[in-house]
Amino acid sequence: MSQGLAGYVIRRLLWTVPVIVAISILVFLLLRLAPQDPIDSLLGQRYDEEIAQRLRAKYGYDRPLHIQYLKYVQNLFQGDLGVSTKHGDFSVAEVIIPKIRVSAGMGIMAIILVFGLGIPVGVYAALVRGSFLDPLIIGFWLLIDSIPVFVSAVVAPWLFALQLGWVDLTYEGVLHPNIILPVFVMSLPGVAGVARLMRASVIQVSNEEYVRTARAKGLRERTVVVSHVVRNALLPMITAIGLSLPGLFAGSLFVELLFGIPGIARESLQAVLGFDFDVVLGLVLFGSVLFVLANILIDIAYGFIDPRIRITAARGG
Amino acid sequence: MSTVVAPLETGDLGTRPAPRYRFLRELVRKKIAMAAILFITIFYLAGIFAPWVSTSDPNYQRLTIEDRLDTPSSEHWFGTDGAGRDLYSRVVHSARTTLLFTLVVVLTGSLVLGLTLGLLAGYRGGYIDTAIMRVGEVLSGVPTLLLMLAISAAFRTRLNDVAFWLQDNTFLGDDARPIVFFLIIVLAALPFAWIGSARIVRSQVLAIREQEYVLAAETIGASTGRLLLRHIFPGVLPIFLVGLSASMGGIAGAEIALSYLGLGVDPSTPSFGTLLQNAGGVRTFQEYPHMLLVSGIPIILFFFSWNLLGDALVDIVEPRTHRR
Repeated sequence: MSQGLAGYVIRRLLWTVPVIVAISILVFLLLRLAPQDPIDSLLGQRYDEEIAQRLRAKYGYDRPLHIQYLKYVQNLFQGDLGVSTKHGDFSVAEVIIPKIRVSAGMGIMAIILVFGLGIPVGVYAALVRGSFLDPLIIGFWLLIDSIPVFVSAVVAPWLFALQLGWVDLTYEGVLHPNIILPVFVMSLPGVAGVARLMRASVIQVSNEEYVRTARAKGLRERTVVVSHVVRNALLPMITAIGLSLPGLFAGSLFVELLFGIPGIARESLQAVLGFDFDVVLGLVLFGSVLFVLANILIDIAYGFIDPRIRITAARGG
Repeated sequence: MSTVVAPLETGDLGTRPAPRYRFLRELVRKKIAMAAILFITIFYLAGIFAPWVSTSDPNYQRLTIEDRLDTPSSEHWFGTDGAGRDLYSRVVHSARTTLLFTLVVVLTGSLVLGLTLGLLAGYRGGYIDTAIMRVGEVLSGVPTLLLMLAISAAFRTRLNDVAFWLQDNTFLGDDARPIVFFLIIVLAALPFAWIGSARIVRSQVLAIREQEYVLAAETIGASTGRLLLRHIFPGVLPIFLVGLSASMGGIAGAEIALSYLGLGVDPSTPSFGTLLQNAGGVRTFQEYPHMLLVSGIPIILFFFSWNLLGDALVDIVEPRTHRR
């Protein structure tokens, strides 16, 4: 079976390559075919044709498109993501790595929070289903999910910092307690999705025969719920991690903007607006590869935890 | 659930509702879902009839101290913004923008692209199936918002010239710019709008094509087109609609997010994104909370309604996780 799994993973990885190449070409063309380039945005009011020509020659923007792309790919394979024109010729890696650290830190905290809240909420909603509590709980989290981050990122600081004075709004690094409010604001909308998935999963597992057997042999309800139902219901949650990633990126964009956090999402917006070619491309590639790898890893983990999946995965991949 | 035992249905089969109405009946029974549908209807109706139900031109500015940043009053129901524009009229016209955007993206992306690709992938299978689904998988894996930003930013400056040309040379006149900018965000949303529905359609097709009535139709020599349209499509439809309802909020949210960032609709087009952007940060909210509240509450209720409706529909389709 493990050979089947390996084949499955390899096939998926192989499929990733053309699609990532396609995305990179697409984004590359998108940026290069825009009538604006980094030089325009760099010089701005002081635009001078001669200086612009020289700068374009320096960055290679005056060469044919396919040469530019091939050059980019060549550099990429040497670990060189290019330079940021907006950040005074710092390499893309120098620009984005510190920001990736910030965003990754916040992202991990957010994922822990989303699942730490969503799983118990979902289990509870499933256990009380049939009563008014179940729709009430799920409805509450659906309401939270309905609030756009750029609204909650204004109202929450107003309430907790200006009115109640519980927190400070300055950014002091990812490990400073001030990060709690922004992490909450970006995570809470995701709880509903996890809770709903967990609820459905718990209900499904509750109908399994081994749960009935456990009850029939006289186990305490607590034991049945914790070690028979919840343990097995947790399985689909692993895939939910992968599904929650794009949403977290979108949430983090507005949180980083409104809380002034120097993260990757804010940088990517600034790079897009400033036509910072290599930074945009680097970020898109980084994001795509990260998400694809995360999803493949999740699939593998799934196979290890639940051997039944492995067989179908190997067959169906 | 009441446990009244229904009398055995002897003979009178004609009054039994067809299975396809079961769906509707269950929906009507859910009060929360009906409330959600009611709000969504009001929201969309306000959007459709925006020019008639608004009390003022949404872009008309009253640049006097008395008229700027007014709190809600009988004259300006939702108050006015920093440029003295009537916020009620702006909210109603924003609903129009939301409606229009959702409609165009759903029709082109979810319906035409999603349904076609889903049917193709599910029915043809093999290499085409793998290709379509893998592309969808990776597209849904990339940071969607970032790619949408890039598409929107790249086309905005380029199409600015096109917009000016259209303005001068066609009947569109002043409408040219808003229309071009609107089309740009539709274009930015399309690459991602088809994935969800294609996936749902495909899985349904895979299940349905094994059904005996499809085999029967195949055996008597029905053409592929007839098979897909008459036998498979009707079976796919309910789940497709459920999936669609789950994505409606997200589609509307894409426009709002892009407009909030200044990469969405033309500034002359009212949108919840620009409204919320204008409502500003924490300090503005402290001073003039009405700006954020009057535009925030309708859109939160709109997302909430779609969320509740989606939840209720999933409940009906997935009876195993039923609320009762």
